Amino acid sequence: MTKVKYPQKRNYRQRAHSNPLSDHSFDYPVSPDVMDWTKLYPRFKPENEVKFCDIGCGYGGLLVTLSPMFPETYMVGFEIRVKVSDYVNDRFLALRQDNEVYHNAGVIRTNAMKYLPNFFRKGQLEKMFILYPDPHFKKCKHKWRIVSEGLLAEYAYVLKVGGLVYTVSDVKEVHDWMVEHFTNFPLFERYDPPAEDKAAQVLIGSTEEGKKVLRNKGQSWTAIFKRVEDPHLVNCAGT
Amino acid sequence: MSVLHYDKHTNSFLLGVGANLYQLSDNRAKLLVKCGEVPETTEKEEPIKEGEKAPRAEGPAYITGVATCEGRVAVISNNKVVETFDRDFQRVASTVAIKRATSVQITDKTVVISDKAGDAYSYSTDLTDRKYLLGHVSVVMDMILTPDLNFLITCDRDEKIRISHFPNCYNIHSYLLGHQEYVLKILLLSPNLLLSVGGDQKLILWDLSTSQPVQTLPSPQEDYITISYSPPYILACNSRHVTVYKLTDTTLTQTSQLVTDHDIIDVASSDSRVALLTREPKLEIYQFSEGVMSGKCEVEGEIDLSQFKDSVLPEKKKVVRTAGFAEYFERKRKRIEEENLKEESKQAHINLQEKSKETHLKG
Repeated sequence: MTKVKYPQKRNYRQRAHSNPLSDHSFDYPVSPDVMDWTKLYPRFKPENEVKFCDIGCGYGGLLVTLSPMFPETYMVGFEIRVKVSDYVNDRFLALRQDNEVYHNAGVIRTNAMKYLPNFFRKGQLEKMFILYPDPHFKKCKHKWRIVSEGLLAEYAYVLKVGGLVYTVSDVKEVHDWMVEHFTNFPLFERYDPPAEDKAAQVLIGSTEEGKKVLRNKGQSWTAIFKRVEDPHLVNCAGT
Repeated sequence: MSVLHYDKHTNSFLLGVGANLYQLSDNRAKLLVKCGEVPETTEKEEPIKEGEKAPRAEGPAYITGVATCEGRVAVISNNKVVETFDRDFQRVASTVAIKRATSVQITDKTVVISDKAGDAYSYSTDLTDRKYLLGHVSVVMDMILTPDLNFLITCDRDEKIRISHFPNCYNIHSYLLGHQEYVLKILLLSPNLLLSVGGDQKLILWDLSTSQPVQTLPSPQEDYITISYSPPYILACNSRHVTVYKLTDTTLTQTSQLVTDHDIIDVASSDSRVALLTREPKLEIYQFSEGVMSGKCEVEGEIDLSQFKDSVLPEKKKVVRTAGFAEYFERKRKRIEEENLKEESKQAHINLQEKSKETHLKG
């Protein structure tokens, strides 16, 4: 059997920015009920559920770090760029060959802005990761940003109450934007993770982007948010 | 884009032709008011956020949607104007929306619009105090505010029907997923049943307590144009067919079908009448009884249908997916093949060298 080789980035070069609002050709299930996760995870069983999602997983750095840390948890990365998601796919194929681990992590080429509810049921996810999102600096491109008031409703929908969103950016403006949006959103609250939160510790060092920032002696800002109960419904129930 | 609307509060039909709003009762049409007039900006307007410009009306003014409640009528126009009238059709309030509105709903306390950017906003009855409610990533094609005012249901071009709480629309209650093209129109048949039609040529009946489809009917003739509901009958229109279904419990059964001479633009129905606007443009009223349309008659009264503005909304274009990266995968396949061949020949060369070394030693 031909050995799967570790992918080399030079064979997977792609432009960094992709328009999430246009109609690329994606595979996505009509609804979470018909999603076949065994295509991604050969050992996936009917009673299993994907619990972590890395939105814009890039070259897969975070998933490669998290996978052995949470061996019982299924986790998926969403990446819109074809070549980059192909790289991650090949990376995991090679890793799985050489190790007993990494069978719980995979990547899907899709548009997280449009298709989260197609993949995940309400309250399914325990953790979501938004690491070094594309800043889309220009005002006319703000609607391409992965964090917006409209999209926060969808993130709150797929996350269970008590679930966590981890964010990192090396662009202060983007970090401030995310903090402002999440804290003003009724279903999220800023959260200070306890020391035991293993995922919080690897946010900066595990991704290619993060390593680059460290190498260049730049700064990264992190912010973590918890999905809370709807205060509006809580109030109504109380009256 | 609905230009025909059944107003249950007055048992009449409202029709938008160009910028003119007409009322149809007993087969007579009466011109009510001209809509789409751009309002003067007043101090009442919501203060503009720093760096943002006040929304400006743009494009031709023609009516694209109508909604009614007991004391008021709301009208949205193509040029972004949103206005409300009292029952004497005196203009009560008007404003310019941020983007062209695609649907409107009105109650005695609020006006809600969805727009082509995929966002929904609520206004107070005097159309000030605009609040952002929710955002889809693609255009919202239709919207329903449930009669109990607890939910806002929106459907979009990305095949989704979203049920959000109201007014806390940031809290999504559920999704109805099943369409494979844009969702064109939705109707609430009962607190637990929703009907939808999509660009995938399917009519789907949904159970809202389980978020599952209970019945799916394929279109009898290509794309759906619109649907209408007069309990217990549903009228589903394709370009030349009006198919009437009867709803019993949670099942739809066809009761009749009418074939029209011209393409249908819009339909509205009451318990006893069906108003049909066809491409010519022509307006016809039918008797409607026991699920059957009959006794077609022309509409009397002065109604200038030549003003009718027909537009193929950009959102109704079916999604043409940009070609996948077939070329990339083909090149990748070739590259891997070449690499494997190189490896094999390299290995074969090494084997040959080892063999010749061996024979050399032996010899």
